[in-house]
Amino acid sequence: MTLAAAIRTGDVSLLPGRRDEAWRWTDLRGLLRALPPLSQPFTGEVGAGPFDALGGATCALLNGGAGEIVAQAGDNKIAALRLLSRGIGRHAVKVSIVVGRGATLRLLESYESDAASVSQSLLTFDLAEGAVVERIVLADDHADAVTVSQAEVRLAPGAAFSQTLLTSGARRQRIETRIAHPGGHAAVRLDGVYVLADKRHADLTTVVAHEGLDGVTRQLTKGVVRDQARAVFQGRIMVSRGADRTEARMAHHALILSDRAEVDAKPELEIYADDVVCAHGNTVGALDEDALFYARQRGMPDDVARAMLTEAFLGEVVDRIGLEAARDVARAWVVRRLEARS
Amino acid sequence: MLRIENLHATVAGKPILKGIDLTVPAGEVHAIMGPNGAGKSTLSYVLTGRAGYDVTAGAASLDGENLLALAPDVRAARGVFLSFQYPLEIPGVPALTFVRTALNAQRRARGEPETTAPEFLKLARAAAAALKIDFDMLKRALNVGFSGGEKKRMEVLQMAILKPRLLILDETDSGLDIDALKIVSDGVNALRSTERAMLVITHYQRLLEHIRPDRVHVLAEGRIVDSGGPELALELERAGYDKYARAA
Amino acid sequence: MAAVKQTVDHVEALEAYKHGFVTDIDQEFAPKGLNADIVRFISAKKDEPQWMLDWRLDAFERWLALEEPAWAKVNFPRIDYQDSYYYAAPKAKDGPKSLDEVDPELLAVYAKLGISLKEQEVLAGVEGAPRYAVDAVFDSVSVVTTFKKELAEAGVIFCSMSEAIREHGELVRKYLASVVPVSDNYFACLNSAVFSDGSFVYVPPGVRCPMELSTYFRINAENSGQFERTLIIADKGAYVSYLEGCTAPMRDENQLHAAVVELVVLDDAEIKYSTVQNWYPGDPVTGKGGIYNFVTKRADCRGDRSKVSWTQVETGSAITWKYPSCVLRGEGSSGEFYSIAITNGHQQADTGTKMIHLGANTRSRIISKGISAGKSSNTYRGLVSAHPKAKGARNFTQCDSLLIGKSCAAHTVPYIEARNGQAVFEHEATTTKLSEDQLFYVMQRGLSQEEAVQLLVNGFVKDVLQQLPMEFAVEAQKLVAISLEGSVG
Repeated sequence: MTLAAAIRTGDVSLLPGRRDEAWRWTDLRGLLRALPPLSQPFTGEVGAGPFDALGGATCALLNGGAGEIVAQAGDNKIAALRLLSRGIGRHAVKVSIVVGRGATLRLLESYESDAASVSQSLLTFDLAEGAVVERIVLADDHADAVTVSQAEVRLAPGAAFSQTLLTSGARRQRIETRIAHPGGHAAVRLDGVYVLADKRHADLTTVVAHEGLDGVTRQLTKGVVRDQARAVFQGRIMVSRGADRTEARMAHHALILSDRAEVDAKPELEIYADDVVCAHGNTVGALDEDALFYARQRGMPDDVARAMLTEAFLGEVVDRIGLEAARDVARAWVVRRLEARS
Repeated sequence: MLRIENLHATVAGKPILKGIDLTVPAGEVHAIMGPNGAGKSTLSYVLTGRAGYDVTAGAASLDGENLLALAPDVRAARGVFLSFQYPLEIPGVPALTFVRTALNAQRRARGEPETTAPEFLKLARAAAAALKIDFDMLKRALNVGFSGGEKKRMEVLQMAILKPRLLILDETDSGLDIDALKIVSDGVNALRSTERAMLVITHYQRLLEHIRPDRVHVLAEGRIVDSGGPELALELERAGYDKYARAA
Repeated sequence: MAAVKQTVDHVEALEAYKHGFVTDIDQEFAPKGLNADIVRFISAKKDEPQWMLDWRLDAFERWLALEEPAWAKVNFPRIDYQDSYYYAAPKAKDGPKSLDEVDPELLAVYAKLGISLKEQEVLAGVEGAPRYAVDAVFDSVSVVTTFKKELAEAGVIFCSMSEAIREHGELVRKYLASVVPVSDNYFACLNSAVFSDGSFVYVPPGVRCPMELSTYFRINAENSGQFERTLIIADKGAYVSYLEGCTAPMRDENQLHAAVVELVVLDDAEIKYSTVQNWYPGDPVTGKGGIYNFVTKRADCRGDRSKVSWTQVETGSAITWKYPSCVLRGEGSSGEFYSIAITNGHQQADTGTKMIHLGANTRSRIISKGISAGKSSNTYRGLVSAHPKAKGARNFTQCDSLLIGKSCAAHTVPYIEARNGQAVFEHEATTTKLSEDQLFYVMQRGLSQEEAVQLLVNGFVKDVLQQLPMEFAVEAQKLVAISLEGSVG
């Protein structure tokens, strides 16, 4: 049951739905009674991308296709990957990202759709020993789009993979990251920010499988939901037998800013080794009333105080982005999204 | 300046303030003393408009304007400043950003021009130096990980920058060692002027040795049960609050 | 240190599973297997009215249409529902009227288990005789309920479910399956068809039950299943504290215990429900035998300001599959779940709770302590949800897992669903191994490794042990120690 198979065949019965445990909160089968036709190739002008100012080569995939991004051993480079959907149609995308020994790649990835398209993308990351990847994903999809983005990451010992997802959701959207973590002092940071309004939906799903000694994982996801939006966070950390001295910490914190918004979370630990330190924390709630009063006592009107506290709440995640220029883009995006409706 | 008449207030339906009458003219410092649970903090929250503190009768005005009808931030813009007994930690917001946002919000509300960044930095540097606060500390998230003394100093720093007209100090001496107490008191004393009034709420007389009050009031069981000059504070220090507990 | 010393002495004096004996007692069985006639047999044996039989047969029909669940994190061979006895009872002429008439063999069984059925001792002021009422359930029937008279004087009904169906039919009809619907899940539905015995408690408005109530469940017969059915109703402003204990003999085959427990809590009422579950866990080395403990426990806090507190110490059973839950319907109602789940040997436990916030200003609190040792697997699975109308709902959850040894597993699977902007949910979870530093520190002070482990584990579970009624807390503490025997070294 995958979206990829449904897109290939046009058969809606292949869509994952609520009865599939991993899709209980992101029901595609119940949502899509029919699929749009296969997307047509698009040859028009696509306009500027969100990371254009940062330089680096751009790989743009329009309405489907396949691509490859390679960083040779010792390289240190920035690359932009734009996954564009134009018009109403369905399509799938495959991208392979290969990073050689000791190479550093900053991948600036964006999802840009302009209509009720249905799309699926599969990205595979292969990191050789000592490779460093920082992946920054900006998902600015159309309100009627349905998208599933899946990344499969394989790390060699000593490699480092960090990622920050920023999303404003879509009609249904899932961004899934699966990591095979070999231990051996490889390090993973998986962060996420969502800002959802109207009836938008975003699902941030991560699976980190620790398979060797001395693995480290850090996860921080924060988000705000308004109106009738719905956020889903599913984080799973697995530690295989023998993957001792694993240290994994996962946190998810959400603010619900309206009475009809919803947040569903499933932070999961699956541990088969004994010498581990694993923890997760999850909070869902409104802005802290005491902090709000404190700010208002200092003279800030209610909306100013709320905006300041909300931005600061999300800022903690944005501040963890390593590439400074990307951090600025991310910060501006958060402010814009928060101001988009209030 | 501040005029409180027959003020009654409840918290969660329970009467806490039971008819307070108090006038603090401009240029004066009045101390409110009293045992724990007398309603001292409630008075400070009622004057600043915290949700959950419901006024059931009476009035409070600043220069003739009814305070009780105004939103908390509007009261702040009118010049009411509360130094919190337990200042809040604001994660993710640097102290400088916080104070500047507050200052500009107040200025906008009063129809004054906003401060420019250089003006503000100059103000902040001067205030920090006077309070012996390392300027780098102002780049950190407000009060997050600060010691009790540091938090109180940040309150005084905000006072110095925001320049309120009515200062309410709620147990400002709690958690301060003797050196910190001196720094904080000097900071407060520097703000004494003929245009300002101060209400100093404290359980102990210690703070009043540093911030000399013009008048001392005793709050017990939700009422002002005694008033006098500075000597009243000394008497309370000696005799305690027992006689008021019995009287009330 | 006194507690540790006591624990250690206790451990030395005992076999690993001290309740594993079989009692050779003359018993009566239903024919092996499961069909509508067996359901009729059970109902007839219990002298039930027609409505109860119809109800059971209806449940049986529905059960046939259901599929066995497969989602819990447990693995076991498929159960052959035809290869088991659904009714086993000690032979008796008419059922005992009083304690004096109970078969002395049976009294001896309970005495051996440390359960006092002797009201006389208490009434005569025998030192150390605990003052709590007991309903003793042996395989499929309740053999005796103590202190009934004294409780009746306070207006409290405490009797076996079989008796309640005969004597308090109206109350049973009104509340039975009102919390756990007949076809709620596979095992609850099976239970509805063939339930054997359990306890019935009704506490009238404004009454504080004058003593602790408890039920002691014992599986004795071979190849038999036990289908406990318990119903507790706390009427407006009532309070009751109830405790259940469970043990079974050591046998090579697996036996099924599929219970349904329903709690109904009306306005301002409170039920405190504690469980010390020590069914036979199976052979620690081979994993053979042991009880399958598939249980549905749910409380309906339908009254405003009603309160339920579940406390469980789960040390036994080969497989445990159990989620004592609270439906927080009444405004301002609150639910608590305190759990210690210990797995050792080849045990598998998948347990947790559901806190379903439906009413405004409802509160819940979950404290779960899981300990896995040996080759066992221990899963916390829980749901906290807030309905759009549950404004001001609050939850705090703390789930900690402790791992002892290289071959065990610990999982934490919380589901959090917040459907309104005024709910505040906080969840924290940790998984760690027993700290080597702490172990060394304690051993340096003179404790053996086993003693040190017990001391640290008792510290780890202290927050939950404190929730148990005093009389049982000490017993539970000993049980924690025994369950972990042989887990280090």
